[in-house]
Amino acid sequence: MSKEVTLNINSRDYPLTLRGNETLLEVLRDNLGLTGTKTGCEESECGLCTVAINGSAVLSCISLAAACTGARITTIEGLADGDTLHPLQQAFLDKGAVQCGFCIPGIIMSAKALLDVNPRPTRAEIDYALDGNLCRCAGYLKIIEAIEEAGEIMAGQGQKPANNPRSAETKSAS
Amino acid sequence: MNIKVDHKKEYVDPVGKSVPRIDGLGMVTGQTKYAFDVSFPNMLVGKMLRSPHPHAKILSIDTSEAEKLPGVRAIVTAKDTHNIKFGSNEYFFPHTIDQMALEADRVRYIGDEFGAVAAVDEETADLALKLIKVEYEKLPHVVDVREAMKPGAPLIHESLNNIAVILPVNFGNPDRALKAADYIREDEFYAPAAHQTAMEPHVCVGQWETFSNKVTLWASSQAPFKCREALAKTLKMDLNDVRVIKLAVGGGFGGKLEMLPMDFAACLLSKKAGGLPVKICYSREEEFLASRRKHGMIYRLKSGVKKDGTLVAITGEVIADGGAYCSYGPTVLAAAIMRIFMVYRIEHFRVTGYRVYTNTPISGAMRGFGGVQAGFAIESHMDMLAAGVGLDPIEFRLRNITGPNMTTINQMKLTTNGLRECIERASASAEWTKKRGQQRAKKRGIGIGIAADVMGSKMYKSHESAGSIVKVEEDGSVYLFTGAADTGQGSNTALSQIAAQELGVSYGRIKCKSGDTEITPFDTGSFASRVTFISGNATILAARDAKQQILKVVSEEKNLAFDDLDIRAEEVVVTSSGEVIMDFDKALELAYSFRYGRQIIGRGSYNPKTTPIDFRTGEGNVSGSYGFEAQIAEVEVDTGTGEVTILKLWDAHDIGKAINPQSVEGQIEGSLAMGIGYTFLENLHFDKKGRPANGNFANYRLPRTMGIPEMESILVETDDPEGPFGAKGMGEASLLPTSAAIANAIEDAIGVRIRELPITPDKIIKALQEKEQQENET
Repeated sequence: MSKEVTLNINSRDYPLTLRGNETLLEVLRDNLGLTGTKTGCEESECGLCTVAINGSAVLSCISLAAACTGARITTIEGLADGDTLHPLQQAFLDKGAVQCGFCIPGIIMSAKALLDVNPRPTRAEIDYALDGNLCRCAGYLKIIEAIEEAGEIMAGQGQKPANNPRSAETKSAS
Repeated sequence: MNIKVDHKKEYVDPVGKSVPRIDGLGMVTGQTKYAFDVSFPNMLVGKMLRSPHPHAKILSIDTSEAEKLPGVRAIVTAKDTHNIKFGSNEYFFPHTIDQMALEADRVRYIGDEFGAVAAVDEETADLALKLIKVEYEKLPHVVDVREAMKPGAPLIHESLNNIAVILPVNFGNPDRALKAADYIREDEFYAPAAHQTAMEPHVCVGQWETFSNKVTLWASSQAPFKCREALAKTLKMDLNDVRVIKLAVGGGFGGKLEMLPMDFAACLLSKKAGGLPVKICYSREEEFLASRRKHGMIYRLKSGVKKDGTLVAITGEVIADGGAYCSYGPTVLAAAIMRIFMVYRIEHFRVTGYRVYTNTPISGAMRGFGGVQAGFAIESHMDMLAAGVGLDPIEFRLRNITGPNMTTINQMKLTTNGLRECIERASASAEWTKKRGQQRAKKRGIGIGIAADVMGSKMYKSHESAGSIVKVEEDGSVYLFTGAADTGQGSNTALSQIAAQELGVSYGRIKCKSGDTEITPFDTGSFASRVTFISGNATILAARDAKQQILKVVSEEKNLAFDDLDIRAEEVVVTSSGEVIMDFDKALELAYSFRYGRQIIGRGSYNPKTTPIDFRTGEGNVSGSYGFEAQIAEVEVDTGTGEVTILKLWDAHDIGKAINPQSVEGQIEGSLAMGIGYTFLENLHFDKKGRPANGNFANYRLPRTMGIPEMESILVETDDPEGPFGAKGMGEASLLPTSAAIANAIEDAIGVRIRELPITPDKIIKALQEKEQQENET
């Protein structure tokens, strides 16, 4: 039994034929070759597979792809604006927050969901937003610094909070 | 010549600057390819056939049903192999080469590998595994390391009382020396098993070339050349018929230092499947079950000191739980015992190590290589000795530490040694004298731990050299080829900085190609904090060679003395006068001109000036230089709940010279976080059948952002004469003293001593109750 669905990923429509039981992670990586999104456990513990759905940070390893029809899906590949990096991507480079890089796409996506609604978060708010993301290399401090710096830049650019006050709740529920 | 590229002439003189990572852009945009991301047309999914029993004989394997399953392309078992064993300590401990690439007639832990299947998809591969009929004869098993050592315990290999290695390390006459001690104490510590938990699991793709009979493995490896060696050995092939390609690696921490049966199986399955590529990717559960783990260690120490704090003698015993096979066990044990000689001046010493088999997952290398367990035991013990003679822990250490330009009792040649400065700067920054013993009313305490580490280790079969090639193209781009394996620590960046500095050009020109056994020079791999030091020196030599080739052309063309020329900050200059002759691009134009037509290809090979350790005597100068480290923790304890909060960590590290200060800090902060995890959370333990009882991220808790305290990195630069631009290796030392520094701080805060990791609230509460009881009795 197959199902025709169209997913909107990084502002492009992808018509897909799915069995119906694929996770969003599977579709991104295996069907579409968008391998920037990683996974480290496939059971919602590591946060490596975090993507944004309608602006909220969501774990793609436990999201059904077919249920994402009509939603706006953003992955790490869709974050830069042409050749211009998103402030988070730039800040992660500048602050030396990247080591092996494997957890970074998920962490950046979690951070983006936070900064879109709250560009000047407290340390506690960053801790809360990143509680679902593991990093084994960097010890988190430079990651936190990078998020703070990106937030300042985003606030300075007058980035309006996205129309999504639920992002933090959605994250914690997933 | 009309070739024009943008060289991004940024970062001239990059050594000592926090330049951005050479591979960072791909990582923040999701473009970087890891072995995890590799995909080929018609690629098959491989899965390992594992033992469900902790210890059993394999009587028969029937694969006929599985082979009939549509979509199954290949099944391999021991009968498809040459039954060749592999291991990691072949040179010094040949009897510890004990693991078969696929076990033939016996399995020794739940998860032990004795076959593999390849199928068109994961579901089919999983189903095929279930259809393989295996007849076992169950054997008695043993999980606990102390039980395993008892006479009559089930024997896992042919070794007396399951002891794979006994390692006695003796110097002087400790028994006689102890008689002269003013204070003697005996302590036992326990440091549990843990897991590396690199975020990228073990993953590989093997592809066999059917007609030429060559094989390529794309692997997530810390040591592609070691992996090639083990593959060639077990597949019975020539080295040059095996190619191992390392892409970006999502962390290793020691767990990706060896070939695993999965690497072997992917190659063999591909051969049997007619050359289709086979990808095997571990699930997180398999990571915990059947990769490598940290040795749990029981560490007993009995030592004596003089009234003035002078260490008289240290004796003791180390029992390391090795799991089912030896892996890096013998040298992990050696490192757990012998590291102390770099830190303390000792004349009389006797510690005997036992590396013991159990029917549990295999213990191998993990960041710190035995030093983390030893660090907890020794640095806790040192505080207790200091207290016994009424000395401040820092005063006690300063009285006993090693210094520069000395030879240790086991013949390690310490040259630059910033240990004293590390201790002094950390304690000054942490305001030690103001805080130590002064904050008990607030239940706050401060504690110290110190450590030292090698940069490379002459403990293995091969020489330890590294090679580099620096190729300068006519468009001015510079290619650095290194065998070194960047697993996230940033070695490609550091080596590129070194190449640019020595060549006299901007960092922006460098492109780094690393870790491909067919293309890059040999390198033993990323372990023992060796890459910056050893591969860095090879890279200097290669860049210098390339530079001299360019200068030769300039000297001929301009009729200038070759010896008086140099390239500095993108310009060819006369050294004596400082006169600028031409810029770097012009010099290259000349080298590649119609008249000269010279390819600029520099080569460098560096072998550290070391002597292999002699395990009969324990003597050997295993490293080209040594790094030092002092760490201070300040904590606050809630005596109601037993919760410990770290207020701040200070880490002073003698790194010789920081090639990239930001990367160095990143290594320190990452180590500290890993140390916090090991101190409070991580404890890989096993059920009655030896299966991980907490083998997933829901139950094996890692540090997360919450609870990461403020950290201060103090970089002590001792400018090592042998190091590249004065640099030493680093990346492991900062993990060694963390648990002890924290335990010592807890003791300062509330007067209880925790001897068993992890430090959990219930252990604190129990210790407080015992203390109260004791105080009531007296």
